[in-house]
Amino acid sequence: MARMRGKRLKGRPLRRYALFVALAGLFGILLLQTSPRLRSMIDPARTVAADQLASSARPGLWDRITGTSAREARIRELEAEVRELTRYRQVAISMAARLEAYEDMLNIMGEPPVRGVTARITSETNGPFREAILVNAGAMQGVEEGAYAENEGGLVGRVVQLGERSARVLLVTDFNSRVPVMGEASGMRAILYGDRDDLGSLTDLPEKGDFILGERVLTSGEGGIFPRGIVVGEVVRRGGDQRVIFSMNRAPGGFVRLMPSMKIPRPEDFPVEEPADETETAASDETESGASNPGAP
Amino acid sequence: MAKTRNAPDSRFAGVGRLWREAGPTTRLSVGTLLVLAIGLIGLTPKSVFGTELTWPYAALVAAFGWGRSGLAFRPMIILVIVGFAQDVSAYAPLGCFGFINLTTFGLSALVHRSFDRERSPVITTLSPIVIYAIGFAQVWLFASFNSNHIVQIAPIMQTFVITYILHIIIAPVFDLGRRASPIPGSRA
Repeated sequence: MARMRGKRLKGRPLRRYALFVALAGLFGILLLQTSPRLRSMIDPARTVAADQLASSARPGLWDRITGTSAREARIRELEAEVRELTRYRQVAISMAARLEAYEDMLNIMGEPPVRGVTARITSETNGPFREAILVNAGAMQGVEEGAYAENEGGLVGRVVQLGERSARVLLVTDFNSRVPVMGEASGMRAILYGDRDDLGSLTDLPEKGDFILGERVLTSGEGGIFPRGIVVGEVVRRGGDQRVIFSMNRAPGGFVRLMPSMKIPRPEDFPVEEPADETETAASDETESGASNPGAP
Repeated sequence: MAKTRNAPDSRFAGVGRLWREAGPTTRLSVGTLLVLAIGLIGLTPKSVFGTELTWPYAALVAAFGWGRSGLAFRPMIILVIVGFAQDVSAYAPLGCFGFINLTTFGLSALVHRSFDRERSPVITTLSPIVIYAIGFAQVWLFASFNSNHIVQIAPIMQTFVITYILHIIIAPVFDLGRRASPIPGSRA
């Protein structure tokens, strides 16, 4: 019996040896990892494997099925965006503070704060006589005489009639409107008026130079009605002539924003009044200097 | 009436018959898939009402079950590979869980070849407790050596209990069908 048992035990020596060899090998690997140098070689691979296999940041199957992982990914994305924008916000605040300091140092007159009223278009007049719109904001809402109207696309027109609760805006597409414009790229100046085919025509063009096809047309600020730089349209060629597509038609919403005109008063409107005693003093000084130095011019 | 009552039995009988007819390779494949499935589910965050669930070491159950059928190359290779995956997922030193799985496998083979040829209920009940206890003692030792301080025993004990419960439930799946024959001259 003992012989048979011994035979059976000897039947699988290879497997037994393999088990011991495997155990010894694994224990050897464990011991090798006590060396900091070897561990530093193994750790990067371990980290990558752990990230792929067991990272808690990786979504589980249930999260993928229910869409939680997608929502969490989107939240992480937005959080990263907020962090990035917060950084830009800090930069913007810092730059605004520096700009303010520089402007104070240089004594620059800044732009006046923008005041405007958004109004709903209550009716439109597109008849053969005049192209105008009526809006539900007037003097009571703070609309001023000569205000101009714009929408998301660009310049719409200017207020030609102002009531207490409403105002009539003459559209730039009207034949009677005249808008001083300039090419954004070419810098060419002209006067724009509306024509019958819903396109703008340019007149009073300079003798030399031309608008560039496709460039934007902006208000030039001449005349003091419209401030400089409001988008009016885009230059196109129709029938051999340069015409302007009005950009206000790209945003045909039911609202316009009425902005006060940027009229800069002329110097003669508000002349500097010199004090009387100072004038007299200056005159007496001139007399005295002339008497003491008769050869001076 | 009798047919209706026997219907579920016949369904399970079919599964039982299939399992009885399955060879060691099929059983090993099914067992490996089960270990991988339990391990992969264990990688996902698991909590119920804010309490983190303890997850069993399915590979240890497999090592014990496969060891009952005697030493073999394929289970050893699978246990080493699964052990490496456990090392990576548990941030243990490489080879740690492979060593523990193989030790359990070898101990299981030794115990059942030496004492459990008749599959007596006492040995069948007690041997997994003893072998798992040795396995978890190794886990505790390796963890303590690795972290240079004595680690807590309570979490390891919880895992030990959960692993034993898992053993009670799925141990038959890790039976490869080979059985160390009774010692000649014995009664069984």
